[in-house]
Amino acid sequence: MPGPHHPSRPTRRHRVFLPGALLSVATLGGLALFFPGTGAEGATTTTTTTPAATPAPATTPTTSPNNTPASSLKPTAKGSTCGTVNLKGVSNVYNTGNPNNSTFKHCSGGHIVSYGSGAITYTNPPTSQAQAGKLLFDQTCSSCHGSQANGVGPNGQASIGPNLQGVGTATVDFWITTGRMPAVNVKAIEAERKPPVLTNAQALQVAAYINSLDPAVPAVPTPHLNAADVSDGADLFSLNCAACHTITGAGDALAFGTNAPTLNNKRVTPQQIAEAIRIGPANMPRFSGNLSDAQVRDVVAYVTQNIQHPVNPGGAGLGGVGPVAEGFVALLLGVGGLALICFWIGERS
Amino acid sequence: MSAPTTTPRTKRQAKAALGPYGRAGSIVNDLDDRLGIAKGGRVFLDKIFPDHWSFMLGEISLYSFVVLLATGVFLSLYFVPSASQVVYHCAATATNCYHPLNGQRVSEAFSSTVNISFGVRGGLLVRQMHHWSADIFTGSIIVHMARIFFTGAFRKPRELNWIIGVTMLTLAIFEGFIGYSLPDDLISGTGLRIGYSIAESIPLVGTYLVTFLWGGQFPGTGIIIPRFYLIHVLIIPLVLLGLIGAHLTLLVAQKHTQFAGEGRTETNVVGSPMFPTFMAKTTGFLFMVTAACALLGAFAQINPIWQFGSYDASKISYAVQPDWYMGWLDGALRIMPSWEWTGWGYTIPFEVLLPAVVFPGLIFTIAGIWPAMERRMTGDVMLHNLLDRPRDRPKRTAAGAAMLALLFTLFAASSTDVLANFFHISLNEVLWFFRIATIVVPVIVAALAYQICLEMQGVHGIGRRKRAVVVRRSADGEYSTVASDPRPDDERTEMDPEPVPERIDVEPLVGGAVAASNGAPSPTGVRQVTR
Amino acid sequence: MSDDQHEPTRTKVPMPIAAFDDPHLGDAARNPQRVEAIVGGIFVLAIIFIAGFGAAYWQNWDPWILGGTIGAGLFLLGFGLTAWGKYLMPQGPFVEERHVLASSTEERDLMSAALVERTAVVVKRRKLLGGLFALGAGIFGIVALFPLLRSLGPVPGDTLALTNWRKGTRLVDSNGRPVHLETLVVGGIMTVYPRGMVNTDEGQATDQTVLIRVQRTDFTTVPGRETWAPAGYVAYSKACTHLGCPVGLYEQELELLVCPCHQSMFNVRNGAVPQFGPAPRPLPQLPLTFDANGYLAAQAGYDQPVGPGYWTRSNTT
Repeated sequence: MPGPHHPSRPTRRHRVFLPGALLSVATLGGLALFFPGTGAEGATTTTTTTPAATPAPATTPTTSPNNTPASSLKPTAKGSTCGTVNLKGVSNVYNTGNPNNSTFKHCSGGHIVSYGSGAITYTNPPTSQAQAGKLLFDQTCSSCHGSQANGVGPNGQASIGPNLQGVGTATVDFWITTGRMPAVNVKAIEAERKPPVLTNAQALQVAAYINSLDPAVPAVPTPHLNAADVSDGADLFSLNCAACHTITGAGDALAFGTNAPTLNNKRVTPQQIAEAIRIGPANMPRFSGNLSDAQVRDVVAYVTQNIQHPVNPGGAGLGGVGPVAEGFVALLLGVGGLALICFWIGERS
Repeated sequence: MSAPTTTPRTKRQAKAALGPYGRAGSIVNDLDDRLGIAKGGRVFLDKIFPDHWSFMLGEISLYSFVVLLATGVFLSLYFVPSASQVVYHCAATATNCYHPLNGQRVSEAFSSTVNISFGVRGGLLVRQMHHWSADIFTGSIIVHMARIFFTGAFRKPRELNWIIGVTMLTLAIFEGFIGYSLPDDLISGTGLRIGYSIAESIPLVGTYLVTFLWGGQFPGTGIIIPRFYLIHVLIIPLVLLGLIGAHLTLLVAQKHTQFAGEGRTETNVVGSPMFPTFMAKTTGFLFMVTAACALLGAFAQINPIWQFGSYDASKISYAVQPDWYMGWLDGALRIMPSWEWTGWGYTIPFEVLLPAVVFPGLIFTIAGIWPAMERRMTGDVMLHNLLDRPRDRPKRTAAGAAMLALLFTLFAASSTDVLANFFHISLNEVLWFFRIATIVVPVIVAALAYQICLEMQGVHGIGRRKRAVVVRRSADGEYSTVASDPRPDDERTEMDPEPVPERIDVEPLVGGAVAASNGAPSPTGVRQVTR
Repeated sequence: MSDDQHEPTRTKVPMPIAAFDDPHLGDAARNPQRVEAIVGGIFVLAIIFIAGFGAAYWQNWDPWILGGTIGAGLFLLGFGLTAWGKYLMPQGPFVEERHVLASSTEERDLMSAALVERTAVVVKRRKLLGGLFALGAGIFGIVALFPLLRSLGPVPGDTLALTNWRKGTRLVDSNGRPVHLETLVVGGIMTVYPRGMVNTDEGQATDQTVLIRVQRTDFTTVPGRETWAPAGYVAYSKACTHLGCPVGLYEQELELLVCPCHQSMFNVRNGAVPQFGPAPRPLPQLPLTFDANGYLAAQAGYDQPVGPGYWTRSNTT
């Protein structure tokens, strides 16, 4: 049976194979675990009941105290009247997303076309698109948000999705272009970013339709990044954004299954960042009067430049999550690798 | 061989006058005249080092400490240990600075660290090497300590060395914490804030401790940075150097332990000689440890403080953990329920004291007194130079495994948010999981380790290739087993250990090795022993 | 060979280069010339890399090139040297006898005797002197600590309980701008400081406050605080009561302030009572009011020390 054909001692292959396999597994595992991509993308599976966030009914804008910010020029209103606009989502601090307190305002046919400042231009899609938007809405959104987009289902009971009347075009555009809407898992505590179902143009059509039901603000922001102060943006980001999104924008899990998404994702556009800041989607706070358009623009510039293209002269970013990943690498690759070298150098008896 | 009495006239005469050992011999003579090193020196060169691979783990610590010293000196040439605020300037066209910081008020410590990273040639590499080797330093200490623990190398006469080692581990952890807090960036500054609060929570003296050290209510006068700098650059390295010296001296005096085996007894050491073999291997290993730190420093970014910004006590980032060797404390702080006691006008924040002061104190105390505890528990007061296999001491192995499992669970608990994000589980559920796991996992691991030890004890020849078993079936259908013939490599051949010869014949080594390559047995004085 | 040289009398013994039959060394030991060639090649590669590091440094190339070259070069150098030591140098196994650590019983007795008997000379005959010296050394030991303890300062006193918020102190943001009714909308949050304390260490560490607009009308967090949150603006100390981290993470729909450090969760509706995590106490609430100019100001300072707990905390309430 067993003949004397075996070599008389373990071959070099054996001595290299096991340590080499261990090292490769450790390296690949470490790299796979900690390279970018630990953001909360994809469908979430947690199921926790959310507190129903029914917005207050639309009200007329509140009067401001007698000391509106000093530099409030009267905005130029080109064209005919601008009609009434639901202003509950914005403050009246100058150049913070309120059409009546911005550097310029363009209206047409009783609707706001655009407004803003040199830093951000807020634009509404043309009202003519509302009809196409209604078709899309009926197909894609009405089953959850009600046929009138008012959060009322066919039998008069509350629908799964909230009332969309008076949310403004920026809100609709944000949720649709990030793919969060239409929601896949309606029981999830927060809708996650996923590949969008509707195109950007279609999103604007739906926005036009929603806005036609109850015109509101903010409109879709377009930040003008050329004059941005990235340093100011970095400062603002660390004070206002890093507490949830982390200082490197990697995103992380928050309380009770919610999360702050990663900003390192290249699909996050400047427009979406500005929208999120101004509308405060889901659990994100809403930044209005406390951040001017210029400041929002600076933050957007910082995110698109340094968060999405981090300056990593030191090598692999290890996911931007800091010492946890670094510790694993140091122990597995550093100490582990050196221990394997010890294994080679020394005896095994 | 005495020095020649006549002055040599020619080169050849001069060379001859040096004696049969040439210049080296005359140097030995000169030194021996003054220092008396010849006899002790030869004993030193003959020193035997056992060869087991796990005995080299301490060398990882030693050599990474050397890397720390060297890289640290470089860094200290450029670092400014001051918390005074300056405005960071980075012109738009400049390439040796970090633009998003331009115009921001930062501390000088932070500014100088960013300058090291961007403005000093090789600075970022050295900075990263310094940080990686600090992580490797503490990591290898733990691994080395585990080896010592599980093989019982801390027993008499080496208890003092064990205590020195535990002290060095404590110092290493503090040194690392202080070191990465020096740049005064947002994340390490948060760690300092937490450290302040932990110290503050100590009853009676806590508030005095922190206002003294920091110079007032947090963040104090900023003097904490230069004080930490001094501690990090001078005080702890000096103490560590002294302790390392003591550690190695004891090792040399008491000689290294070894595993039991052929020719190995309680009263000898078997292995390879110091010169040239061990010196070559260990020097090579020094280069490889340095290389590992350099490669990590080259390809894996660590602590990119420019992305964090200077410390501002009202700013915070999410997903902040301390460096890994402090992670177990952070995890303990997270899972601790909020038990604060207030009474008679006094407050004791147990939710801070217990996980961050009492618990680590307990761990390090148990570690330090373990040799005494084990002596008392086992009644074993004998001197031991042979090591245990971990499986031969199942209770000790189970206890050590449980301790490591506890520390690892706590370390994992410090990344609850990262884990919750990665696995898409609610943060709250992850935290509750760790509250339970911290208690349950060590118990399970201890039980498992104990069982595995017992089983491994019972199995003869575990880890070796087993003889194949031939199963025969008779015509009646009965099965029986027959041990197969031994394979050629089932036999272990090993040489009898011999003392280091005083004089060696160099020729066969460098020229005559060819003759030996045909498998002829080695020359005089050595026998083969077949098991 | 000159006339002066004489051969040592002890014979030379061939030192085994390696245990040729040592199963761990395998055929490397049997083919030393092949090993030598390989190690030589490794050294050549190492030289190339190390020289490459020199060039990279001179040319100021990127850190990864600097580190990669020196790392690879040093690794190969070390690897070659170790391989040289492992395969081409005498492995043994050699044996060395351990000398007995313990001295003989006689030596021990003599040592103990020296200690005990000579100490007795001091103790028995010169007790007074010994006592006085011990007293002097002891007192020195105590007073030597004085500079370490007393020159350090300051004594904490009441400072840990004080913030710069007073009656009428205006809230300002990080740029010094005051806050008025319309600054925040519902669901908004900002960090505020007392006017004049922006960009100061104290303002940031101790006075830092989060301002959240929870609704548009006045609301009460806790009975007794009916006037503290006008127009839905509620202000809490940003210093976490656990360990002092800034509690800047606000979840708008859950109305939850989460501390990023150890994930304590505070409900902003009911006075920032911690509902999860290690924080022991609610965040102190700053009572707000709109001053004559319509800007938000504090009605008074905090009603308790902010931040983490410490020994005398309850004494200073």
